[in-house]
Amino acid sequence: MEGVTEHLNSDAVQALASGEPQWLQNRRMDAWASYERTPMPTTRLEEWRYTNLDRKLKLDTLEPLGWIERSFSKETAPDRLVAEMEADHESSGHLVELDGSVAHVDLDPALASKGVVFMSLRTAVTEHPELLEEYLATSALPAERGKFQALNAALWTDGILLYVPRGVQLEHPIRVSRWLSESGKALFSRTLIVAEEGSQVSYVDEILSDDLDVQSLVSSAVEVFAKDNAQVQYVSLQRMGRGPFHLSQQRTIAGKDSTLDTLNVNMGATTARLDLNAQLVGSGANSDMLGLCFGEGDQHFDHNTSQDHVAPHAYSDLLYKGALDGKARSVFRGIIKVHKGAQQTDAYQTNRNLLLSETARADSLPNLEIEADDVRCSHGATVGQLDQDHLFYLMSRGMSREVAERLVVIGFLGEVLSKLPLGGVVAKLSRAIEEKLHG
Amino acid sequence: MPQNDTITDIGLDEYQYHFITEDEPVFRSGRGLNEKVVREISAQKDEPEWMLDFRLKALEIYNAKPMPTWGGDLSNLENVLDQIYFYVRPQEKMERSWDDVPPNIKETFERLGIPEAEQKVLAGVGAQYESEMVYHSLKKEWDDKGVIFDSIEDGLKNHPELFREHFGTVIPSADNKFSAMNSAVWSGGSFVYIPKGVELDTPLQAYFRVNQEQMGQFERTLIIADEGSKAHYIEGCTAPVYSTESFHSGVIEIVVKPGAHFRYTTIQNWSNNMYNLVTQRALVHENATMEWLDGNLGSKLTMKYPSCYLLGEGAHGSVLSIAYSGDGQHQDTGGKVIHAAPNTTSQIVSKSISKGTGRSTYRGLCQVHEGAFNAKSNVECDALLINDTSRTDTYPYIEIEEKRSNIGHEATVSKVGDEQLFYLMSRGMDEAEAMALIVRGFIEPIAKLLPLEYAVELNRLIELEMEGSVG
Repeated sequence: MEGVTEHLNSDAVQALASGEPQWLQNRRMDAWASYERTPMPTTRLEEWRYTNLDRKLKLDTLEPLGWIERSFSKETAPDRLVAEMEADHESSGHLVELDGSVAHVDLDPALASKGVVFMSLRTAVTEHPELLEEYLATSALPAERGKFQALNAALWTDGILLYVPRGVQLEHPIRVSRWLSESGKALFSRTLIVAEEGSQVSYVDEILSDDLDVQSLVSSAVEVFAKDNAQVQYVSLQRMGRGPFHLSQQRTIAGKDSTLDTLNVNMGATTARLDLNAQLVGSGANSDMLGLCFGEGDQHFDHNTSQDHVAPHAYSDLLYKGALDGKARSVFRGIIKVHKGAQQTDAYQTNRNLLLSETARADSLPNLEIEADDVRCSHGATVGQLDQDHLFYLMSRGMSREVAERLVVIGFLGEVLSKLPLGGVVAKLSRAIEEKLHG
Repeated sequence: MPQNDTITDIGLDEYQYHFITEDEPVFRSGRGLNEKVVREISAQKDEPEWMLDFRLKALEIYNAKPMPTWGGDLSNLENVLDQIYFYVRPQEKMERSWDDVPPNIKETFERLGIPEAEQKVLAGVGAQYESEMVYHSLKKEWDDKGVIFDSIEDGLKNHPELFREHFGTVIPSADNKFSAMNSAVWSGGSFVYIPKGVELDTPLQAYFRVNQEQMGQFERTLIIADEGSKAHYIEGCTAPVYSTESFHSGVIEIVVKPGAHFRYTTIQNWSNNMYNLVTQRALVHENATMEWLDGNLGSKLTMKYPSCYLLGEGAHGSVLSIAYSGDGQHQDTGGKVIHAAPNTTSQIVSKSISKGTGRSTYRGLCQVHEGAFNAKSNVECDALLINDTSRTDTYPYIEIEEKRSNIGHEATVSKVGDEQLFYLMSRGMDEAEAMALIVRGFIEPIAKLLPLEYAVELNRLIELEMEGSVG
């Protein structure tokens, strides 16, 4: 029973489950049993080859953050959280999660009257049990998918439910701000997004924290369903301080003729691991998958993506870019899997890495597994340094080397942002990249 | 598209190297692998003590290592290994003239066209039948210049110091389970030394034939290309088709000294009941070049990733690989390049064709160590799928620790386009001809690097395999 500790054990699960409806209690206990059964991933597994959990994650001392009734006001909230919220543009609704408990939700009343549901997961247990029973940790991220999927399904304390009814379109993004302040803790949060047929929504999740002296684990489980003809954009901005281990497990399920795009940005945390599986289950489904990371110091980013073409005539295009300074290290392991019968698939995958220092390191494993013959698939990966011609050009125009380098890095990473022109996100990230470049 | 039955029916799609030679070996070990077999092999070869120790230690390593769980399906391999003969000695001693080779064995190689090729285009020829080299010869002009082209056993006997200095240094026994196995039971293969500054203008060739049923062949080749030399070595492999499975596991070690240029070409056309698990590696020193040209057409399962360890500044390595997987075949091939010195360059080009239920896998590694500045590497993989039951995979590993490097990988997967076929057929070709032409065009960038005779042969093989393939 690897990973069962003084604080992470069946008593903790029982304490959370007490008072919950029976179906949810059962689901937690089953997930815990699955967690106990599953061995801790080691570097002997292909998916964990470059991230040694033994060294990177100190599970033994972590205490789970319990749910606490919290309120949010700009006066008492951390300055950085308030500043980042104020930098956001218009929204259809906000949600604030503080140390794993939702402290604030608001939603445009016009949307609420159309049946849009946007609330804390904890509230949803009593107000929308039918949605959670159907979708929460069932078909997208069931406990059986892996050790940490099971851990989150057993120990989640709160999170977000967004439900968009058939045909409803949201003009502005839904914005979620999450904040972590505590050291030595384990935070388990879930996000569930269900976009019914023909609906449209974009969703931006931003997670922030102070620098922490002692490692905390932040586990985010994200399940996104786009039904037939729905259009969903999911954006995750991870901009925590140093100290945390961020574990983001995401699965997107794209129905017939739907569009389900994702953008994952990793700039913060000491270690950040992303597992993203895009399922194209309906014919004509589309998924653009964008990713960007910028590491320095001893940051370690590990991206594990898969594009699962189950249905024919679907399209997916992945672009992940990373810039690495200091002793930072990035891993990209991505797979395009075209299942038998998924004819007329178009699937692409590109990973590009920029090494900015002598001690940075990038590993790239872009994989293909193709079991249908009438497909167009390609992938590419590059690792290199700043383009010397670009630098030379800028310097010949009178820029210092430093400024020229900064511009080339911004241009390199900016390609990803330019593909998803979502209100405020591009400006915010461009600024964040510049800040990081200035050190 | 309709199946082109007529061409399949007349049997052109069949393996053309299926013929069994009736003969009685002079010695055959028991089935399976154990210490007794290892001691027998060593005794049969009258080896020095150190080699027996080397073999026995390798056997221990082999027994301790688990079966790989990646790559192809090896689930039945242990059963196969229990049944095969690890050592079969076909004749008493190796010959230098075809006239002295026993008639039935000579006939086998004549049917494969080896003596004819030797006269026309080769600098030297080695022929291995079952576990031993039965023939080895080198043209006199190269012999006079100090070139050594011998069986591996004679290399050990006649050049003990040179042999021991390099043997097992490029691929240690413990490198992987099958290199350990080979190190325990190796038999046959070539020992090659190209002296400083000598440039061979025609290739050396070794031909490997397995004739017996349930036979394991474990050739071991050691090649040393001394400073500034240049040579090309070709190996070819065939076997008859049996209902039971056979096993081939070679270890090829190559040392390319400063400024030398070495090319190693494999045309592997084992029958479809053969497991082919081979370790090939070259150490490439300062300003030297190593080229692997790897053609895998036969076997049931091949797992083979020719490697270049670029150890000296300015070294260059390349791996050019063609794989063809027909019904029931799995070619799990690729290449590895390790950049361990500055200003090193490498290239991997892989082309695969999967037909019927065939599966082609590219698996490769490109590694740049810290300090190997200005390393440049480019990897390109193209896969062609012929039927909807075919499968292709691409698994590259790119591990970069040096900022001042430039590394790229690209892969594409495609199908033979209906438009391409339609165009060629509108010009009067039938479907099979059109398909063969498109496939030839696909592999042409690699085929053109082969000596003419082999390029013709490769194209002919592909054409035969493509007959009746339009589905």
